[in-house]
Amino acid sequence: MNTPPSPNAPENRPVSAWQTATTTASSRARRRPGALTAGIALAVGSALVLSACSSGTAGPQEQAALTGSATEPVQGGVLEYGHLQEPNCIFGGWIQENFTARQVLDNLVSATEDGSVVPWIATDWEVSEDQLVWTLTLRDDVHFTDGTPLDAEAVAYNFDYWMDGGNGTAAAHLGGFYDHSEVVDADTVEIHLSAPFAPFLSTLSQSYFGLQSPTALQTRTVEENCTEPIGSGPFTVKDWKRGEYIEFERNEDYDWAPENARHQGPAYLEGIRWNIVPDGTSRYGSLLAGEMDAIGEVPAVNIAEARQRYDFTQYITPGRPVVINLNTERGIFTDQAVRQALSHATDREANIESAFLGTVPFEPSGYLSQSTPGYDADAAQQYPFDLEKANELLDGAGWTGRAEDGTRIKDGQRLQVKIVYGLNTIVTPDGNTAIQNFQEQARAAGFDIELRPLTPSENFSGAYSTPDSYDGSVGYWTSPHAGILNINYRPSTEEAPNGANTTFLDNEEVFTTIQQALQAPTDAEVTATFSEAQYQLSELAPAIGLYTQTNTLAVSDRVSGLWLEPAQGGPIFHDAHFTSEEARDSSQGFSAANAENEG
Amino acid sequence: MSVTTETLTTAPAQPSSPEPVRRGRPVTSTAALIGKKVLGALFVIWAAASITFLIQSLLPGDRATLLLNQQTGQVQERSAEELAPINEQFGFDDPLLVQYVTFLGGLLRGDLGISYTLYQPVTTVIGDQIVPTLVLTFTALAVAWALAIVLLLLTARRAPWVSRIFSGLESAAAALPQYWLGIILLVVFSLWLGLFPVVSGSGTAGLVLPALTLGIPLAGFLAQVMRAEFERTMDEPFVLTARARGMSDGGVRLRHVLRHSLLPGLSLTGWAVGAQFSAAVIAENVFARPGLGRVLVTAVNGRDLPVVCGVVMLVALVYVITNLIVDTAYILVDPRLKEAA
Amino acid sequence: MTAQPQSQPRIPADAGTTGGVPAAPHPAGPVQSATWRRVPVTVWIAGVFAGLLLLAAFAPGVLATHDPRAITLGSPLAAPSWEHWFGTDQSGRDLYSRIVHGTTQSLLIGLGSAAVGVGLAVVFGSWAALGGRWADAVIGRAIEVLFAFPILLLAMVFIAVYGPSVQTLILAVGLGIAPGYARMVRAQVMSVRRSGYVQAAQALGHHPGRVLAQHILPNALRPLLAVLTLGIGQSIVWASGLAFLGFGVAPPSPEWGALLEAGRPYIIEAWWLEIIPGLAVLATALTATVLGKFVESTLEGER
Repeated sequence: MNTPPSPNAPENRPVSAWQTATTTASSRARRRPGALTAGIALAVGSALVLSACSSGTAGPQEQAALTGSATEPVQGGVLEYGHLQEPNCIFGGWIQENFTARQVLDNLVSATEDGSVVPWIATDWEVSEDQLVWTLTLRDDVHFTDGTPLDAEAVAYNFDYWMDGGNGTAAAHLGGFYDHSEVVDADTVEIHLSAPFAPFLSTLSQSYFGLQSPTALQTRTVEENCTEPIGSGPFTVKDWKRGEYIEFERNEDYDWAPENARHQGPAYLEGIRWNIVPDGTSRYGSLLAGEMDAIGEVPAVNIAEARQRYDFTQYITPGRPVVINLNTERGIFTDQAVRQALSHATDREANIESAFLGTVPFEPSGYLSQSTPGYDADAAQQYPFDLEKANELLDGAGWTGRAEDGTRIKDGQRLQVKIVYGLNTIVTPDGNTAIQNFQEQARAAGFDIELRPLTPSENFSGAYSTPDSYDGSVGYWTSPHAGILNINYRPSTEEAPNGANTTFLDNEEVFTTIQQALQAPTDAEVTATFSEAQYQLSELAPAIGLYTQTNTLAVSDRVSGLWLEPAQGGPIFHDAHFTSEEARDSSQGFSAANAENEG
Repeated sequence: MSVTTETLTTAPAQPSSPEPVRRGRPVTSTAALIGKKVLGALFVIWAAASITFLIQSLLPGDRATLLLNQQTGQVQERSAEELAPINEQFGFDDPLLVQYVTFLGGLLRGDLGISYTLYQPVTTVIGDQIVPTLVLTFTALAVAWALAIVLLLLTARRAPWVSRIFSGLESAAAALPQYWLGIILLVVFSLWLGLFPVVSGSGTAGLVLPALTLGIPLAGFLAQVMRAEFERTMDEPFVLTARARGMSDGGVRLRHVLRHSLLPGLSLTGWAVGAQFSAAVIAENVFARPGLGRVLVTAVNGRDLPVVCGVVMLVALVYVITNLIVDTAYILVDPRLKEAA
Repeated sequence: MTAQPQSQPRIPADAGTTGGVPAAPHPAGPVQSATWRRVPVTVWIAGVFAGLLLLAAFAPGVLATHDPRAITLGSPLAAPSWEHWFGTDQSGRDLYSRIVHGTTQSLLIGLGSAAVGVGLAVVFGSWAALGGRWADAVIGRAIEVLFAFPILLLAMVFIAVYGPSVQTLILAVGLGIAPGYARMVRAQVMSVRRSGYVQAAQALGHHPGRVLAQHILPNALRPLLAVLTLGIGQSIVWASGLAFLGFGVAPPSPEWGALLEAGRPYIIEAWWLEIIPGLAVLATALTATVLGKFVESTLEGER
C-alpha cells in the first residue's frame, strides 16, 4: 500500500486523543466479559490528559488477541440507542445525517485515531507525481444491498453525485479541487483533481462520502433515497417512525468492514433502534432507567456521574472549534488591535471550565481544534488572559474615553458590539452559558457586548450572515484535517464567493500559505506550513477560540464494543454486542416473532 | 335541529340569548345549514393557510439559503450559483402571486405539496404523526374534564375554606408552565419512582405523564370557569326547589347544577383544542413522543412552507370540527336551546 | 329561545364567565359579600405579595442582595445558602437577585400581553357584537383563523421585527390570547346589550358611544375580571413556553421564562434553578387571580 504524503501522518502530529474514556475503564471492563481489558493512555497536545478505553485503537490482530476466542461475542438482540437530534434524511450534508449514514453506507477509506487512513472499500491507492490523479484500487467482492456491485463504475458515479448536488458538505470539501473520475477497470478508478489536495483521503473518510448504489439513486424517488438509502454497510434501514425512532437491521452479507473495525463479517447485533430523545434529562434518565443501552450527547451536568457509572467516551471534534468569528470587514472589529484586545480581555479558560463543569476542553485557538492533525499548540496560546494588555491595546487604538457604565468611548462612539449565534442549533445551553460569561467578563476591559441569539430560521436563512449584520458570530465546522482553514479563510471574490469565510478576512498572505500547505509535497512540509498559517492568523486575530465541539457516548454494561469513529465522532454499532445472553434477551427485539427466531 | 348558522359558527355560547329568534333567519333546510357550515369551515382553513403562506414567504432572509444551509449544517451566505438549482426546484424566484396561485392550485387538487426538507409529501408527514398527537390532545382533554368535574362535585360551595383552597389550587394549576410541570412529573414519576417509562414513545404507558402535563393546567382552567357558574347555580331558585322536594345534595349537584356549569367548560374546550396543539410540542419534547407539535416547530424553524401550511390547515380543521361537536354538546346539555330554535 | 324558563334569568355566557347580565338585579349577593371590612386572609397575602412584586419591579435594588449580572466562575450551581438564598446559576450568578431583577420584564410581559389581548378583544368583541351581521361574521371568522394559528409563527414575525425582546413576547402572546377573550367579550356585550337599562338608555336617545362606554362595557367586562386576571399569569406561562422553543428574551436577561428555560437541564443536579423561578411564576399568577376575584366580588357586592 502506497500511502501518499498526508498532513495526517502520525509522526508529524502532536499526539492526540480522539477518544477519551472513563477513568474507571479497566475496573468496568473486568465486569464485562466481552470487553477489552486494556486501557491505553493517550495524551492530548495540550495539558489535557485523559485516559482512553481502547475503543478501536488497536489493530485487528491485537483485537483478536485481546478479545480472544474464549468469549465469543453474544449474537443478536436489538440495541436501544438514545440520540439527541433527528436527521432529515439518513444520508446528507448535516452532521446528524453523517451519523446515520455511517450505519448504512461504506466509505472508500476509514480514519484512525492518529489521523491517518486505513483501507476499507479501497484497498490501495496511489497519487501521481503532480498530485493531481489519485488511483484507487477497490475490493472486488463488495455489493450493495440491492445486489448491484460496488465497483469502479459505482465509485465514479458517486463522486459525480456528491459534487453535483447530492451532498452539499461533500461539495464544500472538494469543490475547487475535484475535476472528474475515470473508470480504469472494474476494480480501479482514477480521481482527477484540478489542484493538489493533500488531505484528499482523510476527507473521503467522512460519511458525507458514503457510497450508494447508483441503480438505487437513479431508479428510486428522492424520498426513497432519503429515508432508505441503499449502501453496502453493516446495517440497512428497516423502519423509520419520524419523531420516535429509526430501526436499522443487520446486513447478513456484510463482509468488508474497514481495517480498523474490531471484527470482520456481519454485525453481532440483529439491529439498532436509534431513538430520538431530544431532552437531555430524559435521555440520560432513560439510560439510568435501563430503557436505553447507550446514549449519545450526555448532558454536561451528568458527565461526572456517567464517567463513574458507564463506559463513557468523549470525542473531541477536529476542525474549527466553537469560536467567535469577528467581522473584519465592517464595524469596530476592522481594527486589528481591538480584535487582539478582546482576545486578551477575558479568562476564557476559567470560563469554559466553569460553564461546562470541567467536562469539555477549553480551546484557545480560534482556527483549529486541538484534535485536528496539524494543530499548533503554541500558535493557539498567543492570547492568554491579560486585562492589562487588553487595556493597553484599546488605549492605543484610541478607545480612551469611558461611559458611566464603564464602556469605552472613542469619538463619541461606544465600544459596543453585537454577537449573534444560533441557540440550540449551533450553540448548546452550556455554550450559551460560556458566551454569557464571556460577555460579562469583557465588560472589565470596556466592551459592551450585545448578545443576539438567533432562531434557527434566522440563523440559516442568511439574514445574519452578511457583513452588515453582526460584529461577531459564533460557529464551528467539523473536519478531519487542517484543510478546513482553506474553507474558512479563502477570501471571497466576485467570481468565487466564499460564504464560509465568516470573518470576511481578506488576507493574501494567509491564503497563499494555506494553498502552499494543501499542495506541500511532504507531510513535514504540510504540517510546518499549516503551523505558519496558524501563526499568521493568530497575529491577525479574526477569531477567538472558546471550546471544542465534542461528542459523547455512555454505554451501559449490558453491551460492549461500541466506539466512536475518528473522522466525525459518530457511534459505530457494527462491533457492538450484548455482554450476556440474559442482557440480549431482555432487549425486546424488533418484534415478538423476531425474538423467537433468535432463541 | 335548527339552530341558526350564526349561532353555530360564531356564537355557540349564546344559549340564553333571545337573539337567534330576533335576528336569526329561519334556516330552511338542514342541507343549507350544513352547506353554510362547510363553507365557513373552508373559509377559515383557506384564510389560515393563506396568511401562513404570506408570513412564511415574506419573513426576512432567503429561503433557498436556508434550505442549503440546513442541508449542510452551515451558517453562511450563499452564491447565486449555489442557490439557482434550489430556486429553480421550488420556484422561489417566481413572483409571489405566481407562487401563491401554484400553492392554491395544489390545495384545490388536494395536493399539499412536498416537504422541502424531508422530501416526503406533506400528507405523508402529517399522516404519520397525526395519530399520536390526536391521542395526546384528546386524552389530555379527557383528563382535564375528569379532574375538573370531580373537583367541582366534591369541593364547590362547601365550607368556605374548602372552596377557597380548591379554588386556589385550580388557579395554581391553570398557571402551571407546562414544561415546568412536565419535567417535574418526569423526574418524580419516571426517574425517582420508576412508575412510567422515561422515553414515552407512542405506547400506552407512556401516554400518562404527557397527558397529565397538558391536562392538569387545562383542568385548572376548566374548573375555574365552571366553578363560578356552579356556585352561582347553587343559589338558583330551582335548586332550592329541588332541595325542598327532598332531593339529596349529591343528586342536586350531579343532576341539576353540574349540567349548567358544563356550558362554559364546553366553550373553553372548543378553543383549548387549538392551543393544545401548540402546547403538545412541549410534552413531545420532554417525553420524547412523536407528534405534530414537533413537526410544526421543526417546520416553522426551517420555514418548510408546505408542512407549516399543512399543519395550520389541519389545526384549523380540528378546531372547526371540535367546535361543531361543542355546539352539538351544548344542545345535549341544555335542551332548551333545541326547543327554543 | 323565548321558551326560556323565567326562573332562570341568567345563563352562562360564552366561556363561562360569571355570565351575569348585570341588568338583572341579583337575587342576593351570591358570592360572599366581600367588603373591605371582611377581607379574607388569602387576599391579604396576595396583597402583600403584589406589593413586593411592585417594589421589585420599580426598585429591584432594594430587594436584591447581589448584582444580577455578576458572575462567579468558581462556583456555578451552588445550592441555596445564607449567602445565596436561592442558590446560584450556571454562571455563579445569584438566583434570588436575578429573580428580583427579572420581575420588571416578567410583569411587563404578563400585564402587557393581557392588556394587548384584552384590548383587542374589547375592540373586536364589541364591534362583532354591536356592528351588525357583517361585522360579526367577518370578525367571527377572523377569530377562528387566529385560533388555528400557531403562536410560534406570530412570535417569529415579531422577532424578525423587534428581535428577541419583551415587546416581541407581548405582541405574540397578546395576539395569541386575544381570540379567546374576544369571544367572551362578544358574548357578554351581546347579553348586556339586550338588558333593560341599555335598551332604556337607547330609547332615551343617548349617543351610542356613550351607551357603550357608560353602560355596556362596564357591565360586560366586570364579570370577566377574574378570567382576565387569569390571563396575566397565563401570559407569563406562554412566554416561558416560547423561551423553551428558543423565542425568549435575549440573555443575560433574568426574565422568568428565560430563567425557567435555562434551569431545565439542571433539574436533577441543581433543582433550585428550575423549581424556584417556576414558583415565582405560579405565585404571581395566583396573586393576580386572587386579587382579580376579590375586586370582582367587591364590585358585585357594592352594586
